[in-house]
Amino acid sequence: MNAALPEAVQRAIGVTRKRRFEVTARDIHRFAQAIGETNPIHRDQDRARNSRYGGIVAPPLFCQALTYEDVPPEQLLADGSPREISVPVPAVRTVGGGSEYTIHRLVRAGEVIEIKSTLKDVYTKQGRSGLLYIIVVETVFTDADEQPVATELATYIKRA
Amino acid sequence: MSKMGIDWSEFSLPTILPELVVTPTHSQIFMFSAATWNRHHIHYSRDAAIAEGLEDIVVQRALIGNFFVRLLTNWLGDTGEVKNISWRVLSSAVPNRKLRCQGVVTGHDPALSRDDLACEMTIINDAGETVATARATVCIQDLS
Repeated sequence: MNAALPEAVQRAIGVTRKRRFEVTARDIHRFAQAIGETNPIHRDQDRARNSRYGGIVAPPLFCQALTYEDVPPEQLLADGSPREISVPVPAVRTVGGGSEYTIHRLVRAGEVIEIKSTLKDVYTKQGRSGLLYIIVVETVFTDADEQPVATELATYIKRA
Repeated sequence: MSKMGIDWSEFSLPTILPELVVTPTHSQIFMFSAATWNRHHIHYSRDAAIAEGLEDIVVQRALIGNFFVRLLTNWLGDTGEVKNISWRVLSSAVPNRKLRCQGVVTGHDPALSRDDLACEMTIINDAGETVATARATVCIQDLS
């Protein structure tokens, strides 16, 4: 905990939001297209059926497609950045910093995935251009049997 | 090496991964924002990105991670899977600039299981600047 942080930020740390999404073959196909992945196991039912997966599976980092809430635009900050990183720090410019991502298994079309996003930490760091606010968000993805599918610890950087 | 997998008769450590060269476009960055429902304006509005001190719209942190994963899965083919990956973005990547994704399989980590291999990777832009670095563990199904 960083005492220099506004009280509202300190209160937000540890708060978890939950939601569920059903994954479709189309979601998987679109994600694969967006990352430039052409492996037929992500789009071709026949080829995927004959693969070791026995059906269409998503690319390893597919759960990124489920990370952000579908909140209406008016609930986002002016810069449109995801609500998951909407913390009231005195900084407005945001960039992605990094990620620690664990893949327990590949997601399949038709699955319902539960997503739990937790603001794990907010801390400050002195950067070349001034004070940086580092925002750490943990997202845990589980299946209908409550088994883990993927976990991501993502870091974002906000500056004035 | 092919999409079908690794020729283990030629495998030794360390192994250099076959380089992956990508050139993200405005269209790809837009598609990735749409696929992930990321509405942050630095990924679609050039004016907004420039107003924030960036050169152009920027490639998403998450998409950078997928470039690293493609570097790994192109090598692994059907013979293995990515178990975990951590990456850090060190400088912004912008559209229409070539990115060279490179890596090396460094070996068996004593902390990992027998079939796990550790990899280290880098993405370098066309000016020779490091855009991102990564470490990953891949699991090999038929390592013998």
